[in-house]
Amino acid sequence: MHMHKFEKIWLFFGIGSLFVFLTVIGVSAFAQGNQPPSCLTTIDPEKVDQTPPFNKPGLVKTGDNEYQLNIVASAFAYTPSQIEIPKGAKVTINVTTKDVIHGFEMVGTNVNMMVEPGYVNSFTKTFNEVGEFTILCNEYCGAGHHLMTAKVKVVDKQ
Amino acid sequence: MALPQLTDEKIKVKTEEHSSLKGTLASVFLLGFFLIFTWVGVYFLFLDRL
Repeated sequence: MHMHKFEKIWLFFGIGSLFVFLTVIGVSAFAQGNQPPSCLTTIDPEKVDQTPPFNKPGLVKTGDNEYQLNIVASAFAYTPSQIEIPKGAKVTINVTTKDVIHGFEMVGTNVNMMVEPGYVNSFTKTFNEVGEFTILCNEYCGAGHHLMTAKVKVVDKQ
Repeated sequence: MALPQLTDEKIKVKTEEHSSLKGTLASVFLLGFFLIFTWVGVYFLFLDRL
């Protein structure tokens, strides 16, 4: 087959870039562990209030500087809605919903999940800087969707 | 007699194709660099927010 010299150049360039992208993503995902939120745990959406750890939602210390933040999303609020996290804490955020699909986005961070009934979504993040984050719902969930927010404060440990 | 005429025409068409691929190369690379720029931009935004 006859192929123009230019065609060979852009085919090589295009396929080459694809391999560069895949290598960067592969190293990032498997060597550095930058994985998307996990949703492998299931839960009965009608018994969220009785199922630990969601029967007592909130921040729980699980180890030295390690925490678990359990949040229940429902129309149209997060429980709890005011959270304080000590600076430098490595927090595993677990979210589930009692009713419909909700979003869980911590503005300005990579914490961004779709919360589906029947599943527990998890994401681990280390909070290295003092500041305030807004959590908001980014999946349309009903009439009060735009009011569905929560606040996270990262504070200096005393 | 008809055969040599036919091949002559074919060659003419081919040379025209060759000379017209410069613009295609430029636009392919323009699009390519735009894709690379946006991909790298989004990836660094992700890394910055880790």
